Amino acid sequence: MTHFKTFIATALATTAIGGTAVAEELRMSWWGGDSRHEATQAALQVCGEKYGHTISPEFTGWSGHFEKVATQLAGGTEADIMQINWPWLPIFSENGDGFADLNDFADIIDLEQWPAPLREASSRNGALNGLPASLSGRIFFFNKTTFDAAGIPVPTTMEELMAAGPVFRDTLGEDYYPLEGTGLDASLLIQMITTQRTGKSLINPETNEVQWTAADIQESLEYYQQMVDNHVLQAWRDKAAAGNVPLHENVNWTQGRIAGSYQWDTTYFKISDPLEEGQELVPSGLLRIEGAMNDGVYRKPSMVFSISANSEHPEAAAQILNCLTTEPEGIAAMASARGVPSAAVAAAQLLDTGAIEQIQVDAQNMVLAAEAPAISPFNEDPDVRAGIEDTLELFAYGELDSAEAAEELLMLVNEALEDK
Amino acid sequence: MGGDNRYLGLAYVAPYIIGLLVFTAFPFLASLYLSFTDYDLLSKPEWTGLDNYERLMTRDRTFNKSLRVTLLYVFMTVPLKLAFALLVAVVLNYRLKAIGFFRTAYYVPSILGGSIAIAVLWRYIFAEVGLVNMGLEAIGLEPVNWFGDPQNALFTLTLLRCWQFGSAMVIFLAALQSVDKSLYEASSIDGANKWHQFRFITVPLITPVIFFNLIMQTVQAFQEFNGPYIITDGGPLKSTYLLPLYIYDKAFKSFDMGYASAIAWILFVIIMVLTLIAFWSSKKWVYYAGDKRS
Repeated sequence: MTHFKTFIATALATTAIGGTAVAEELRMSWWGGDSRHEATQAALQVCGEKYGHTISPEFTGWSGHFEKVATQLAGGTEADIMQINWPWLPIFSENGDGFADLNDFADIIDLEQWPAPLREASSRNGALNGLPASLSGRIFFFNKTTFDAAGIPVPTTMEELMAAGPVFRDTLGEDYYPLEGTGLDASLLIQMITTQRTGKSLINPETNEVQWTAADIQESLEYYQQMVDNHVLQAWRDKAAAGNVPLHENVNWTQGRIAGSYQWDTTYFKISDPLEEGQELVPSGLLRIEGAMNDGVYRKPSMVFSISANSEHPEAAAQILNCLTTEPEGIAAMASARGVPSAAVAAAQLLDTGAIEQIQVDAQNMVLAAEAPAISPFNEDPDVRAGIEDTLELFAYGELDSAEAAEELLMLVNEALEDK
Repeated sequence: MGGDNRYLGLAYVAPYIIGLLVFTAFPFLASLYLSFTDYDLLSKPEWTGLDNYERLMTRDRTFNKSLRVTLLYVFMTVPLKLAFALLVAVVLNYRLKAIGFFRTAYYVPSILGGSIAIAVLWRYIFAEVGLVNMGLEAIGLEPVNWFGDPQNALFTLTLLRCWQFGSAMVIFLAALQSVDKSLYEASSIDGANKWHQFRFITVPLITPVIFFNLIMQTVQAFQEFNGPYIITDGGPLKSTYLLPLYIYDKAFKSFDMGYASAIAWILFVIIMVLTLIAFWSSKKWVYYAGDKRS
């Protein structure tokens, strides 16, 4: 009998210990470049040790990550913690149940560190589906070294940028351009111009309806063509001659022949690091066209951290998420790998310790200070994007004139939004 | 054969049979079912009958464009690759010094050819400031916009495929070595030159292998993905947007898995029809050992 009591006591004690034991096996997935991969792995190590969890990292480059996450979610094999692009939220979580509701972990995650509008933007049907690592927006970056060589200052308005094209051609040569813009970059540049002119963003985030007319789009397409004709932008056909190469791997960019880009502010180091020695890349904010009603900034929560709705250990995942974003060890290790953090405590710590470079803060402030109406996450819906970019390419290659392209673009975007 | 041995045999083949059923037969049939549904990967498929096929045939301009590009790619690639592989095999069939080294060296592109790294390398070789244009400029010719011009982009990808001629070449080489040498000696005595020997002895005797390579290369060409995905991403103006890329985009970017399955089945039917035509025509031009035709 004594042995039996001992056995029961031991079993109960073991069960009790088991109940409070927190050592869980977790997975976290994200996309990024080498610096982000290194920082995130270091942070997972630190936070894992702090809470006794083991977190397996799963990281890739940007290309193909969307497809990978989609396949994992379809098969229920997604990581416990995921870095999700904000426009993917309505795709993966139409009703808000595609990811865990982080409000359920308010006792573990310090949600108050994120401004209410950011939490609202990352919620679906009242369920907080993720917490943004940072806020990012498109601004202009210019290679100051090349502009100095051309003998002109970095432009501050679209008019000055338009005037820089002929100067580049005459002083530096036919191969030199003050800006690049094809594919997504061209699409967002045209959206900036149209938003500035109309005061409205492409898709109304409340109603999911297109707010521009064909005439609005046609005018912006003609402005874009004027930029090509004025030697501001390399023609689409010439840019394609390099093949499917991202900007930071393009030799024309790294050697300073293409001297500007309309890019996410958070990608500063990604595009400045490959520049050849002695070249200086500076953020230049948003450039306005004449008569602009606003800055036309394309701004959105960036890199949202979500927890899988299928996670077997959501509390443990919440602990790690909180550590990565709001606890000193995690913040220090993550540093500025995802730009200036949205969590107030993280931004303050990194600024205090000098872990964020001033140029990142400057770029972020330009995004925050810019004025523009809110954008819809459906702007980056794959079918909407394909409709816009395919039509722009047809226009750029002269297969459609501006009026035809505007009608086609409008038709394709409306068609893509039909079932959303 | 005893009962135990019979089960032992089944046990030996079971891993293959299970693999075939789980990883080939089931996805194959599942995709057929899905092609009649509206399926977005994240929710349950909904039966829509022939809607996907009707949309494909009547309203999808991208499908029409992609199909044309794919057929053009196959009809350019397969004959070029087979001709080149046969030419190299004939050269390597001669008894030259260090022939073993050359045979290995010419096979290497086939081992490397399907990899992402080679596709990236190809992108650099044919870029505006790449090796090919540098060569053209060195001999006084104008550089060519290989990837930016819709007229050239598909041809550039065709060259990559042709460069991977090694496996077809090795099969041709084995066939050439199996041709009875006494036939060449006899024809020489009758006054046949090298071309006559190749035309009237070699080619007829290796037609089964030509036929085999034709089928294999056609099927592979229809399935090409890595080259256009990495090098041009289907552009410019969808001039390299082969059907496998369109299937991928529809399935994993637009989450239209039912529609993607329908495209995949159309592709399957096209490959099957072309293969059947090849088999039918083979009666007229493929000669097997013991064939009684004159």
